[in-house]
Amino acid sequence: MKDQVEKIIKFQHVSKVFPGVRALNNVSFDIQKGEIHALLGENGAGKSTLLNILHGVLTEYDGEVHLNNQIVKFKNANDAIHHGISKVHQEVSLIPELTVGQNIVLGYEPKKGMLIDNKSIHEKANEILAKLRCNFKSEDKAGTLSTGEMQMVAIAKALYHKAEVISFDEPTASLSKSETDSLFEIINELKQNGITILYVSHRLEEIFEICDRATVLRDGTFIESFHVKDVSKEQLIRKMVGRDVSSFAVRNKKGMIGEETVLEVKGLTINNVFEDISFHLKKGEILGFFGLVGSKRTDVIRTIFGAEKKSTGTILLNGNEVDIKSSQQAVKLGLGLVPENRKTQGFLKFFNNADNIALTKLEKFTKFGLISHKKKTENCETYINEINLRPANPHYLTNELSGGNQQKVVISKWLSSDASILFLDEPTKGVDVGAKAEIYRVMEGLLEKGKSIIIVSSELPEVLGMSDRIIVMREGRKVIELKNNGLNEEDVLQYAMGVTKNESQVI
Amino acid sequence: MKAKLFSREASLIFAIIMMVIIFSAIEPIYLSGGNLLDIFDQTVINGLLAIGITYAIITGGIDLSIGSIFAVVIVITGDLLVRGMNPVFAIAIGMGLGFVLGVVNGLLITKLKLQPFIATLGTMSAYRGIAYIYTGGWPVLDIPDNFRSMLAGDVVKDVPVSVIILIAFTIVSHIVLKYTKLGTYIFAIGGNEEATKLSGVNVDRTKILTYALCGVGAALAGMILLARLGSGEPATGQGYELNAIAAAAIGGASLAGGKGNMIATLLGAILLSALKVGLVVVGVDSFWQYIATGAIIVVAAYSEVIQDKFKKLRVVKNKNNNKNTNYPKSVGM
Repeated sequence: MKDQVEKIIKFQHVSKVFPGVRALNNVSFDIQKGEIHALLGENGAGKSTLLNILHGVLTEYDGEVHLNNQIVKFKNANDAIHHGISKVHQEVSLIPELTVGQNIVLGYEPKKGMLIDNKSIHEKANEILAKLRCNFKSEDKAGTLSTGEMQMVAIAKALYHKAEVISFDEPTASLSKSETDSLFEIINELKQNGITILYVSHRLEEIFEICDRATVLRDGTFIESFHVKDVSKEQLIRKMVGRDVSSFAVRNKKGMIGEETVLEVKGLTINNVFEDISFHLKKGEILGFFGLVGSKRTDVIRTIFGAEKKSTGTILLNGNEVDIKSSQQAVKLGLGLVPENRKTQGFLKFFNNADNIALTKLEKFTKFGLISHKKKTENCETYINEINLRPANPHYLTNELSGGNQQKVVISKWLSSDASILFLDEPTKGVDVGAKAEIYRVMEGLLEKGKSIIIVSSELPEVLGMSDRIIVMREGRKVIELKNNGLNEEDVLQYAMGVTKNESQVI
Repeated sequence: MKAKLFSREASLIFAIIMMVIIFSAIEPIYLSGGNLLDIFDQTVINGLLAIGITYAIITGGIDLSIGSIFAVVIVITGDLLVRGMNPVFAIAIGMGLGFVLGVVNGLLITKLKLQPFIATLGTMSAYRGIAYIYTGGWPVLDIPDNFRSMLAGDVVKDVPVSVIILIAFTIVSHIVLKYTKLGTYIFAIGGNEEATKLSGVNVDRTKILTYALCGVGAALAGMILLARLGSGEPATGQGYELNAIAAAAIGGASLAGGKGNMIATLLGAILLSALKVGLVVVGVDSFWQYIATGAIIVVAAYSEVIQDKFKKLRVVKNKNNNKNTNYPKSVGM
């Protein structure tokens, strides 16, 4: 059959290799002009890599990208924008001190002679904002906008640059329901105006709601492109996950929970951030914290770890009240934190694996005040086997490893310090499927050693699969505590979104 | 770790040797024993200051006040010596003073959360004021000979005590950086303070000790100058912090933090004195020395940039090899 549809973007045999990971492997598919095309796949499937190539962020790759039937190779992100390819980021970053209009035209200000033409900035910007039906003006300060409004500014910016293709990366992650609805309206209007949309989201309902076609990637390989209306949700999930069941968060062993309560938190509060958080953690237990963006889960565990200052509340470790004022103290008390952002908080980029792992408890390698580098290396080698680190080299810079292996190094820091309670904040974010499964296995291994784990994650399957109990948080409050006996995603999600309560009240 | 072909130390030694060859080809006197000793002698003051400031630079900080600490230590220990204090006590007090002034810097940086540049810019002025007020602006004269021979004399013939002190301070500092918790934490903080804190490291205490060590280096340098000259002035040491930074930078210390090496810093200081002495011996106008010094700094910094690039290339190569063995091509579509 001859295809009459105009193809705006064609990926041909695109491959990209990062140190230790084949992020994209010979990916070929095309995107039709004026459609809303979903890009689907698990974390680490290669979606971001593909988008980064399309947007000129990654400039070195194999294969070809065609735009309007011409091979393009962008020099940088700006180059891509000039070719009409814009992106609305997951978290829009605007300069809060500047006006909305200034943010929109930033770097490409209309000029009058040598001076910036402020009048024309606001005229042009307001025209675009009006099209997007925004109820704020170009003259407003960007810092006063809500998250949803900031996203509109980002879209306005794309339109200012006459974008033909706009990609959205998890655009609804921090939006309320009504903001999401109006975003979808706008996206549909953009489509009507002939703009092609690339849409990345973990929320499958959204895919069915607004997307025309979808492409599934798995482990860097192209799986299939299809019309969304031709598949069911179950089929879609199967395509994304594939046969590789081991990547699922599954507990192989249950019932390792001991009698002792190792951690008890009562009424923990930071004024204006979160309040009255109480829970307990048993020995050998995994306690999950789930909540949408803005639920302040991370703040709670950072506070227990001494990285944030609490306003009120008590913390008991093994029944004894402790007043943790610094992370240093927390580590001494046997706590360990695998932070949300491993590059900026988890490991040191100038340090090799052995040094990163040793940092949490250097005393172990010190004799008469001097550190033995040999002992540090041996220490690292024991964990290399335990966590299956690749490349298995203590002297490799952690920064050069793949995301999954970096995370294994960060976890090993706390194996090395022999922490008894571990806080894992988004432990598998940006980690490829294989490493994910390995991290889950390491978690189980920790339980066997009598350690306890608190896991914070925005990936619901992960929290559901791994936790013995789940605490759901919403806007700085604990909504409910659920025993994980056959809970399903909808149950937990309803509490997290506050749907259950509101709807029942409305009815 | 693998032996590095082009380590910073090796390339600095190479540069120093090249410089010696060129200068002695023009003027053979340059190679005489007396002249080479002169180079070492001239390195001592800047070397001690540079080693000290390298600690601060590795944490990603800076200490602009070392020239002023230097002056405070000179006038106060000088005064105590003139009043008849035992030189050993006086040296201990001098070092203690450097330590305490450094701790004050550290407290301003950690407890008040001031940027190191600003905090030490403030104390640079304030400490200078202390030196002036202490003597009323007058120099301290007639330093007793027993003190002078202790720090400015020779251990054995032609081996000055001060050079030994410099070498000892370098070696101790090298060991501190490479083989102690403090040294590891100093590197860690310079690499990523947040991650270091979350690993349970007492970041504040580490930083305070860093600036204290910086102060000790300045105190040692000050007392050696006091012994050499036999007098001390409150105005002395102005601008010395910049020479110290230059030596550290030539030694490859990164002002962004996380990188530095005491031996290389010492070699950087030697390179600077070798250049200065050489230009004098050859008879180059002294104004040109400034330009030559500037050129050396720029060239050294640029060689670091090139070396980094080279290293990256090599890493990428290695990794490509790894990949082919570890990650066989899977079947594409």
